[in-house]
Amino acid sequence: MADLGFRENVMGPQPIGKIVEQPPEVREAADHFIHALMRGDIDAAKAMTEPQAYDDLKTLAAAIAPERHDKIEYIGGARIARHFFLKVRLPGTPPVKFQFRLGQNPAGEWTMREANDLTGRRSAWSR
Amino acid sequence: MQKCIPVDRLARPDDWIVVRSRQAREIRDEQGMDARPLPFDEEALRARLHGIYTGELQAMEAAGRTLFDFPDAPWEFQLDMARQVWDESRHAEIFQRLVEYMGAKPGEYVETEILWRCTQADDPAARVAGINRGLEGLACDVFDQLIRIAQRNGDEVIERAVDYVLADEITHVRMGSKWMRKLTEGDPDRLARAQAFQEMVDEVFNFRGGRRAQEDIAVDDGLILTIAREARLLAGFSEEELQRLIESTRKSSAY
Repeated sequence: MADLGFRENVMGPQPIGKIVEQPPEVREAADHFIHALMRGDIDAAKAMTEPQAYDDLKTLAAAIAPERHDKIEYIGGARIARHFFLKVRLPGTPPVKFQFRLGQNPAGEWTMREANDLTGRRSAWSR
Repeated sequence: MQKCIPVDRLARPDDWIVVRSRQAREIRDEQGMDARPLPFDEEALRARLHGIYTGELQAMEAAGRTLFDFPDAPWEFQLDMARQVWDESRHAEIFQRLVEYMGAKPGEYVETEILWRCTQADDPAARVAGINRGLEGLACDVFDQLIRIAQRNGDEVIERAVDYVLADEITHVRMGSKWMRKLTEGDPDRLARAQAFQEMVDEVFNFRGGRRAQEDIAVDDGLILTIAREARLLAGFSEEELQRLIESTRKSSAY
């Protein structure tokens, strides 16, 4: 059977579509946002959050104890058009799992539009 | 064990993201996009194929759940459901390959839960009416449109792959028609409840007028999802049922 893990080994038509990479600015913005939360710097995180998501930010900030995490693991990502969801795990004590959505505002800045604390939840369900 | 399990009980890899369909629509609105973009450009086609891929996964899970949830149903019913699980797993694989063909990978787009939500009936007659006749009937319409778009684009890979899948969907709808009638023989109230469940599913997928009858469109440029009359007749829909569906789309387009 063809090896589905390596595209070149797969029989049949090869990809014709252009592969869409996540813009590097998305990851930079995500890093910036998460580091702010890890430091407990809510103002910095709020500065890149749309007002609609202030409550989500409050919930997330409450779930992430400041200065208790020093590593970010990106475990998933998906998009709807030009908005990107990122799913993140922060190992440490206690470990935290959450996801948030970034979109670009008219000024070209990537801002957080919604966030969910997924710690302790099963499956990929985001609510 | 619980029947009619909610969507968060579906097994998914940890790196997947599942959201409500309404939420996905709102996110597109937020970006000034159509709620249901048409698959004419590469990105919209990729997203549509990914949506169908996850739909096939849920269809596979739904047929499996039907098999599991109704152990007292006739053995032939269970065999049909088991066959459908097998079919849907092949469909999921076909669409996974089409997603890759278009340069994307599984999980690159969010998965929505609306199809699963439309499977939640605790009577097997209603379950097959909603899934096999409502959702699989919708699949006939969507695939018929996708084939026409692929033909227009000169893309034989998508055209043929989707045509193979459409042939299976026709048998699934036929299965649904057969079992909806057989399971409700001599019980008109139960038949009416099953049909009402299917009509609810049909109504959800009229996309507020986004699905229309062929005869209601002046020029069919592929922009509007039409009712796949020929495929649905092959699948065992009666003229009367098609007319009811057409009336339902007319009602929806008046939103």
